[in-house]
Amino acid sequence: MSEFFLELFSEEIPTNLQKTARETFLENFTKLFEEKKISFKKSLSYSVPNRLIILFDGLAKETIQNKEEIRGPNINAPEKALEGFLRSNQISKDQIFKKQTEKGEFYFFNKSEKKIKTFDVLEKNIPLILDEIQWKKSMRWSDYELSWARPLKSILAIFCNKTLVFNYYHLQSSNSTYIDKEFENKKKIFKNFKIYKDYFKKLGLIIDHNQRKDFIENELIKISKRKNIKIKINNRLLQEVTGLVEQPNILSCKFDKKFLHIPKEILIITMQYHQKYFHTLDNKENITNEFFVVANNKDTKGYIKFGNERVVEARLNDAEFFWNKNKGQNLVKQISKLKTMNYFKGLGTYFDKTQRMRKLGAIISDELIISKEKIELSSSICKVDLISDLVGEFPELQGIMGGYFAEAQGFEKDIALAVSEHYLPSGLESKVPKKPFSIALSLTDKLDTLVGFFGINQKPTSSKDPFALRRAALGIIRLLIENNKEFKLKDLINYSLLLYQEQDFQFGNSSVQKELINFLLDRLKYYMKEKNIRPDIINASLNSFGIDQINEIYRKSFALNKVINKEIGLDIIASYKRASNILENELKDQNLELSSTTDPNIFKNDYEKNLYKKIKELRKYFTNINKDEDYDVTLNNLTSVKGVIFDFFDNVVVNDDDKTIRKNRLELLQMLCKTFENYINFSKIESV
Amino acid sequence: MVSKKRKTKKPKFQSFQDTILNLQKYWSKQGCVVLQPYDMEVGAGTFHPATTLRSLGPKPWKAAYVQPSRRPTDGRYGDNPNRLQHYYQFQVLIKPSPKNIKKLYLNSLTTIGINYKDHDIRFVEDDWESPTLGAVGLGWEVWCDGMEITQFTYFQKMAGFECKPVSVELTYGLERICMFTQQKKNVFDLLWNDAGIKYKDVFQQAEKEFSAYNFEHANTDNLLKIFNMLEMEAKSLTEKKISLPAYDQCLKASHVFNILDARGVISVAQRAEYIGRIREITKGVAEIWLSTQTE
Repeated sequence: MSEFFLELFSEEIPTNLQKTARETFLENFTKLFEEKKISFKKSLSYSVPNRLIILFDGLAKETIQNKEEIRGPNINAPEKALEGFLRSNQISKDQIFKKQTEKGEFYFFNKSEKKIKTFDVLEKNIPLILDEIQWKKSMRWSDYELSWARPLKSILAIFCNKTLVFNYYHLQSSNSTYIDKEFENKKKIFKNFKIYKDYFKKLGLIIDHNQRKDFIENELIKISKRKNIKIKINNRLLQEVTGLVEQPNILSCKFDKKFLHIPKEILIITMQYHQKYFHTLDNKENITNEFFVVANNKDTKGYIKFGNERVVEARLNDAEFFWNKNKGQNLVKQISKLKTMNYFKGLGTYFDKTQRMRKLGAIISDELIISKEKIELSSSICKVDLISDLVGEFPELQGIMGGYFAEAQGFEKDIALAVSEHYLPSGLESKVPKKPFSIALSLTDKLDTLVGFFGINQKPTSSKDPFALRRAALGIIRLLIENNKEFKLKDLINYSLLLYQEQDFQFGNSSVQKELINFLLDRLKYYMKEKNIRPDIINASLNSFGIDQINEIYRKSFALNKVINKEIGLDIIASYKRASNILENELKDQNLELSSTTDPNIFKNDYEKNLYKKIKELRKYFTNINKDEDYDVTLNNLTSVKGVIFDFFDNVVVNDDDKTIRKNRLELLQMLCKTFENYINFSKIESV
Repeated sequence: MVSKKRKTKKPKFQSFQDTILNLQKYWSKQGCVVLQPYDMEVGAGTFHPATTLRSLGPKPWKAAYVQPSRRPTDGRYGDNPNRLQHYYQFQVLIKPSPKNIKKLYLNSLTTIGINYKDHDIRFVEDDWESPTLGAVGLGWEVWCDGMEITQFTYFQKMAGFECKPVSVELTYGLERICMFTQQKKNVFDLLWNDAGIKYKDVFQQAEKEFSAYNFEHANTDNLLKIFNMLEMEAKSLTEKKISLPAYDQCLKASHVFNILDARGVISVAQRAEYIGRIREITKGVAEIWLSTQTE
């Protein structure tokens, strides 16, 4: 069996780095084999926290190295370059020759065809490939030079049952590995992967991470079914836990039911993020006091279950203490404390921010026709939870905790919800607020943030966005589109700038409005791309409309994108393009002034008349539609022109000898195009 | 539930002081210099010069010591079962990090009553950073049945300088470990010794009084002045190329800053500035220390 088997044994490597390593090594070895024309049947990589396994099955034992002319250094290059070239190719000076190329005169040598052994290729290249890996974070240890994710302890490397021998920094490869990860006392020789896999299987280890993940998932489902509780498995948590264990053992645990009155987000964060447990739900989707621990050991004495239950109770005890303390602390009375809390240098305190939000929110409330007083109150209290112990402990619960405090203190439901949701949406997948007060407060917060940070020139760069401004801008886009709302963003930005001015903040950036509009439109573009809208449609719609029509831009693009490859779309584009192409051709070389109308009195035939009639119908449609335009209907209307326009082209020669008639016909076509462009600038759409 | 457990088996718990003694004995056998706590307020065992300064430079070093650690903001007036403004860390520092450090560590747990075979010992990624010390390390939090009992860190940088060779630092959270081994839900119920003295008998009053001092009574005007004076002193000592006394000033400044922080007089923006100032003087000290450490 021609199997290449590599195992890298190290101290525990974090889950996400295991994944990087598996993928990178597999990719780089594959690249090597392709480059050297060494075929293989199957390639795999596995990992447990201490072991990374790379496997190539059915790897050819030999390969033919093709005849090749290899270029060396320029003939004028320093002698050292030539020496290096000779050395790396293991040749002498009499084997090389000079040759002129486009780029100058170079040394060359003819590499002859020869057989090379895969074994040799591996021994030579494994250290190079190991060295190529770019860890997201790596470390040194002891007095070694090697940098790895965590200390690398041993390298097992075998090809066709034979040990590949090479040095890698202070390590030497062998055919053995440590079999006890805790103490690293015992080493064992393995001749191939099957023996290795079977050996660890007997010890209860699941080497294959996919298999391990499935095992954990199935066990979790099985146990919850048996207990008649529900479990929603968070995939990221499952991945992480899979990377933390090698012999998963699922333990079913409980905490005291008295903690169930604490806000569920606290329970979930405590279990999921802090402890890496899986929480469960009852039939009414309420969280229960039962949870699952994926341990890495058999719990023979019951210590593990007991210990985990105690840890979570200690944590919940802490949280309960803070919850009881914080929920009664009057939000309104604490507002003034925000005066000592800096928001950002140059943008004032959180108190300043909420004062601005009150005013900006009031304007937004007018557009949404909701109570101005309520949005002002929401603005005032929405940041107070930042002072609480609970948000200190659980920063990710900012807003959510404020919502709970507001509810506990008897604020109206929509105010509490607005406070709770005002950081949403926080990305492409996150939930979007749907209630008017929530939309208003979220929009207010994000606009104030964006205007402020752009004002003091703390804008994101291509690689860095430390204040999550892209996310804030995308949040605005999603708020508008997914609630089918349009706001006069340009005016709101100006008003927000004014509010900063009123507070005497001096901005270094004098073109905030322009830059921010472009920034928002750029996020809109990104959003549409993520919705798989064709790039040319995105460009056409952005070209046709502006920042105050975000919702319209999206909806028109979406509707058109839906039909672009269907008959409706193809007909619309064909109609438009036939007209616009003629127009373009005719107008190209001539100095022709077309007026925006045409003269029906000089029409020669019914084709012209019919087309004119149709255009008038369409124009009437466009003048009569208002804000609730149904874009599917509009597109259907545009399609309906096809018959008339094709008849026109099939039967009418635009380029009539009579200049007046010709001009009149061109004007008719221009009218048609302009009418179509009420929907979108179709000239930017690529025809198929 | 707990009382039932106690009835069924009555393991002999290691007292708090025995845990310390056993760790000292164990690491002493591994060749460590067993030191006493540094005689100054510090935020963690890492601040002891036996760790910060000794982790720099080429000379080998092995040390183990218990270090009372003060975190003013964590004070809860002795009311919270899990939080203290003063607690104990057991610290081990070995340079260069030995190849078998994991084995050494797991064996140390056995000596304090945690047999790794009966428990779920997990090494969970934890990248450590101390902005005050200008330090960076990679390693894990060691979990025992879901509870973090130790920080296991390979130092990569200290006081802004690259660690070469690399030291390994083990920081045992002694109260947590004993709450685990003694099966206590409240830190104040821990058995300090075998003669019936509990943690609360030793420390509850201190927790109450220091919380009041840290949160209410510390004279912030004076402390702000003191901070500036300490900074000046550190700088002047650094100029005179005296590293250890200069480092003491850094430690004092750091603790003064922590109290000011607990008193709530330092805003978010100022916070970064103060931390930056401590880091700067620490870096100056480390540079002088390093120059004395040639082989």
